[in-house]
Amino acid sequence: MKHIIESEKLGKIGEEYDAEAAAATGINVDALIAGGFISIQKAPKSAKTKSDPEEK
Amino acid sequence: MATSVFLSNLSALTVNSVSLVDQCTGITFVNLKESLDVTTLADTSRVNKGGLFNNEVTMTLFQSYIASETYATLAALVGTKTTVVATVIDGAVTKVFTLANCYLESMPVISASLGEMSTIDITFTGGSYSVS
Repeated sequence: MKHIIESEKLGKIGEEYDAEAAAATGINVDALIAGGFISIQKAPKSAKTKSDPEEK
Repeated sequence: MATSVFLSNLSALTVNSVSLVDQCTGITFVNLKESLDVTTLADTSRVNKGGLFNNEVTMTLFQSYIASETYATLAALVGTKTTVVATVIDGAVTKVFTLANCYLESMPVISASLGEMSTIDITFTGGSYSVS
C-alpha cells in the first residue's frame, strides 16, 4: 500500500508520500487522508499465471 | 538596539506537514516550563524550580474552505496530536522551531464578521519542543 501526494501544499502531486516516516515524526496521516492531501494506492493484484499442462 | 520586524521573516509554517504560511497572519510559539514552588520556611522570598514543559503554539489563520487550505488541514486534527514546524529567517540566521505531538483541542468552524476577512485563532498545546 502506497500513499500518493494529492496536494501541492504537501509536496509534488503524484509523488509517493512516506507515511511511515511522517508518522514517526508526529504527523497525523489519517488527517492528511481525510483532508484529501494524500490518497492510498493499493498494490495491483498479481496476474494469474496459467498452469503448464505438461506439469501434471 | 536591534529589533526583529516581522514582515516576511516567517518563511515556512507547516501544520501536520501541510504548508499554511500563505494563510497565517500571526503566530506565537512559546517554549514553557512550568514553575514549581519549592519555597520553605528557611527562605525569605519565593523559590521556584522547573517542572513539566507545557509548550504552546497559537496562530491566526485566514479561514478558507476550499480544497487543501485551512479547513481541510485542520478539521480532522481536532482532538488529535500533530506536529507544527515554523521556520524563521532573520538575516543570515535560520531557525526551525518544531513542536511534535502537540494537541489541537478546538477549531472555530465559523468565525465571521460583516465586511471582514474571516480568520480563526487556534492553539496547539503540549508536545515536545525542539529548535535547530
